[in-house]
Amino acid sequence: MSRFLTPATVQEALEALAQPGAKVLAGGTDLMIFLRQARMNGAELPELLVDVTRLPELKRLELDGPGCYLGAGLTFRFLDESPEARRHIPVLAQAASMVGSMQVRQTGTIGGNVANGSPAADGMSALVALDAVAEIASLEGVRHCPLSELITAPNQTTLTPGELILGYAITPPPEPEGQVFLKVGRRHEVAVSRLNLAACLDRDLADPRVVLGSCFPSPRRLADVEALIKNGKPGPALWQAAGEQAAGHFTDVCGWRSSATYKVPAITRITARALKRAWAQLEDRS
Amino acid sequence: MPLKFTLNGKEVCLEDVPGEATLLEVLRRKLGMLGAKEGCGVGECGACTVLLDGKAVDSCLTAAWQAAGREVTTVEGLAQGETLHPMQQGFADTGAVQCGFCTPGMILTALDLVEQAPKPSDQEIRRAMSGNLCRCTGYHDVVRAVRRGAKYMRGEGEEQ
Ligand SMILES: Cc1cc2nc3c(=O)[nH]c(=O)nc-3n(C[C@@H](O)[C@@H](O)[C@H](O)COP(=O)(O)OP(=O)(O)OC[C@H]3O[C@@H](n4cnc5c(N)ncnc54)[C@H](O)[C@@H]3O)c2cc1C
Ligand code: FES
Ligand code: FES
Repeated sequence: MSRFLTPATVQEALEALAQPGAKVLAGGTDLMIFLRQARMNGAELPELLVDVTRLPELKRLELDGPGCYLGAGLTFRFLDESPEARRHIPVLAQAASMVGSMQVRQTGTIGGNVANGSPAADGMSALVALDAVAEIASLEGVRHCPLSELITAPNQTTLTPGELILGYAITPPPEPEGQVFLKVGRRHEVAVSRLNLAACLDRDLADPRVVLGSCFPSPRRLADVEALIKNGKPGPALWQAAGEQAAGHFTDVCGWRSSATYKVPAITRITARALKRAWAQLEDRS
Repeated sequence: MPLKFTLNGKEVCLEDVPGEATLLEVLRRKLGMLGAKEGCGVGECGACTVLLDGKAVDSCLTAAWQAAGREVTTVEGLAQGETLHPMQQGFADTGAVQCGFCTPGMILTALDLVEQAPKPSDQEIRRAMSGNLCRCTGYHDVVRAVRRGAKYMRGEGEEQ
């Protein structure tokens, strides 16, 4: 049996998390499933569940001015519906809109999405495209960790039991920019990504971001594809070349597995399509 | 410490609720509220949907303690005596109920949608209801039911 605590302050939460066997509980959309399985198998449960959903610090949203910041407790539903998020970080607002069902979006958070470390995490792909750096607190202090370094393998992170993600410092590309998130799943709604792609373009192609998810241990930026875009001339030929490069990147890293027969053409097309849309969005905005 | 929350407008107080207990278990086993169903237990089917402070959540993924101090609405709290809630009436009138297993969850999800969009488009209805599975009626009737229920809620009569 687990004990349950709902701290009112971050300090209280960190003290609770420092106890042996303590576990962060946010929206529960991953953790409650894990606990259900543990209960069915008679496996050990956490000693203490620390509910972080009532910490105001984790709900921070700062998108105007320098130093953009997203609290780890922001839910997908909030991000999907927030006019501010839609305007400034459409790549994340779109990703949020495509997560699970309305019920899952209501409680699921971007903190849990990253901490869970799934290779198919949609929020994570969008956050990587926004160059997110996690702010992580424990009783020892605060550390800052780029998302690419936080996830070490599927469902494995460098987070230690006493640590809490407070939020993410993000750096959206310079305006005017176009940001697009696309995913491929088995069905239209309530589908885990087989592939997802987050793309951001700025007017001068000075800082393009292309993130591919559900293909690697965790979503990652494709530096070779971004370099190709930087040195290219915007247009259909460049988007297509970038798509082919992205698919090439995938087979270089993962080899030609059985899923590649499907994934290679899908990556090519989803990348080209996302870039085309991001560019069209940018032209609309400027 | 006892767990307290408001259930369908009434205060409830429960002793000895373990931390890992889901809201669904507590509703069904401790409070006798059998409207919320366990279809899958893992967030896929929506049969366990309840409103937490007016918002649809899967009660199988919600820890019971997360409801502390909040307001929980289940399908049992909707009718006024013998008079069905307009959304329930919408479902009854369109034949969107067969075995009824999915219906409570469907109705509560629809209420969250209509709260935000009093006159939802079919596309909005489909999207909002996508986390609620039904194995009997097919979804066309569900969309019609939500449209009809929304109309009744706007006070726009029975006709059509
Ligand atoms: C039906 C269904 C469909 C889904 N569809 C999608 C989808 O399309 N795309 C997608 O990306 N995901 C999907 N998901 C998973 C998604 O809901 C989760 O990954 C969610 O984002 C996790 O957040 P949470 O707040 O629910 O975390 P919880 O379940 O509460 O926690 C998850 C893990 O993260 C830890 N944790 C939570 N918050 C923090 C924090 N602030 N600091 C440190 N550790 C923390 C917890 O200890 C736990 O280990 C789906 C889930 C379900 C049930
Ligand atoms: S029982 Fe909760 S979503 Fe299926
Ligand atoms: S009416 Fe039977 S599951 Fe929907």
